[in-house]
Amino acid sequence: MASFILRKAEARDVSDIMRLIKELAKFEEMEEKVVLTEKDLLEDGFGDHPFYHCLVAEVPKLQSSEGYTVIGFAMYYFTYDPWIGKLLYLEDFYVMQEFRGLGIGTKILKVLSEKAVKTRCSGMHFLVAENNTKSIEFYKRRGAADLSSEEGWRLFEIEKDDLLKMTANKSLCTVE
Amino acid sequence: MHFKVRAATKEDCKEISRMIKELAVYEKMPDQVKISHEELERDGFCQNPFFECLVAEVPEENTSKDGFTVVGFALYFYTYSTWKGPTVFLEDLYVMPEFRGNGFGKGLLCKVAKVGKEKQCVRLQLSVLDWNTPSRDFYAAKGAQDLTDSEGWHFIRFDGQNLDNLANEAPKD
Repeated sequence: MASFILRKAEARDVSDIMRLIKELAKFEEMEEKVVLTEKDLLEDGFGDHPFYHCLVAEVPKLQSSEGYTVIGFAMYYFTYDPWIGKLLYLEDFYVMQEFRGLGIGTKILKVLSEKAVKTRCSGMHFLVAENNTKSIEFYKRRGAADLSSEEGWRLFEIEKDDLLKMTANKSLCTVE
Repeated sequence: MHFKVRAATKEDCKEISRMIKELAVYEKMPDQVKISHEELERDGFCQNPFFECLVAEVPEENTSKDGFTVVGFALYFYTYSTWKGPTVFLEDLYVMPEFRGNGFGKGLLCKVAKVGKEKQCVRLQLSVLDWNTPSRDFYAAKGAQDLTDSEGWHFIRFDGQNLDNLANEAPKD
């Protein structure tokens, strides 16, 4: 059984986090969508106004088959539900394949849940792709609700080009 | 009909709370609103606010039938995509029924887009209920893609006892 630690990510971890982000995107079959760079991650997570928080899982004594010691991560931030207040939003959650089944993912989820409760969050939210049955089962075993199936919520997205068209739009109102 | 879109102030929270409840009724989930204007004041107007809000306001001579001048709102916050970077998430967008059809929703959405652009956001996301065709059509007309449909994304939630159970099992430091 591998021994591992969970700790808060530091600026020096960005290249490992970037590597794991790309691995997760590949697993989700959307590798080509990752346009973020290490520089973006560094500025956005470790500058004056971080957009995200990150935990990393590290194996100090063992190494993966490719020589890495940071073998898992969870990126999260705080969002707001006008019905119930603060939420912890889990953006990415990944453990390298060769380190799965050792309780690392479960421990990460528990640490995040504790963080959510300690910071007065009413819940923890995230997205999962419907074909990712293993992840859905992992969450449902622990009491998660699928709000898309149960309540009909759908995720919509407006991309940059269409956003720019809207900002150029002159409407009838005065905008201050 | 003339109207103004402006940043909400702490004093607007009572009106925003009223409209949050109206929106919850429209979404057929009125019992799920657990917070009041006091939590909105605390969480939206502290040193590191958890959300930002815009309101749509009409002049005194055009109040709603119940006498309100703040008749619409957009509540949003910033999220982060590990693929693309900063994102603006539009959590609530609402216009009172008697003011719909006059461009208020569009005015609010466009201002949120502008604020997002100023903060270097690369996209805007939101969630909408599957049966809410008027809203789905409204966003689709602005170029929105339904990612639940096209990519299979589902929203998942841990709350209440399930969240507490997980938290209680977290390893001690």
